[in-house]
Amino acid sequence: MIAARSKPVFVITFAAAYAILYVVSVQYNLALFTYHAATEEFHFLVQPASDGPAMYWYGWLATSALGASAIAALTSWLPSASTKRLWSGLAWSTPLVVMIVFVYILRRYFMQ
Amino acid sequence: MIVALLILHGLLAVALLGAVTHQALSVWLPARKTASSFVARMRGVTATSYVNAIVVLYALTALLGGIIYPTYRLNVRIVLEQMQLHVPNGAFELKEHFVALGLGMLPAYWYFWRAPEAIEHARARAVLTAILAFIVWWGFLVGHVLNNIRGFDL
Repeated sequence: MIAARSKPVFVITFAAAYAILYVVSVQYNLALFTYHAATEEFHFLVQPASDGPAMYWYGWLATSALGASAIAALTSWLPSASTKRLWSGLAWSTPLVVMIVFVYILRRYFMQ
Repeated sequence: MIVALLILHGLLAVALLGAVTHQALSVWLPARKTASSFVARMRGVTATSYVNAIVVLYALTALLGGIIYPTYRLNVRIVLEQMQLHVPNGAFELKEHFVALGLGMLPAYWYFWRAPEAIEHARARAVLTAILAFIVWWGFLVGHVLNNIRGFDL
């Protein structure tokens, strides 16, 4: 259970940490699991494509959500004096920057 | 079955698009006086009344998108690559990442809208709403274009 005063700390930290972990997961392929669509099989961690393409998106979501939950929970347990100056704008500025990073990462699709 | 899910995904996206557009307009361009025109009435809604609907619709639409994604990966993306349709392919890649990032923003969005009178979070509320609106519009338009390219030939 998260105390009322910790809720803003949790949601702000979660939004920021999730966005950072997501782009890191995608860039370094840190999927918690892999889905092979052709054979409809899940495999733990990253598995290369075998019979058909390997899908890592679900695994990236899981990695980011679990990691961000852990970071946000730890941060919300910190003494309030150390988190009271946490800027609420981190909840939107971090995902916004990560969105721009993705546009840069995927620019090759639009420049061919 | 996949076609039914794809249609349901599209219908949920339409509802989400309407809700988040109403909310974004009412936050960024609030109606100053009694709404008389169609556009003024669009802007004059009570933004807080859309919050729970947007959270639920976003989560459900993303969930359905996740369920039909393997079919896209097997039957649509490969065709796009063979046809060298790089822009639609890249637009979908952006869609999947933007939607994923939107999911991570939902708890903050929901929290900041729980107390709409809190002035200190007004900017966070407004920007989160605008980003979610952009993601939903991007996802909807890209999905629509890809569906036009590939149709229901799944």
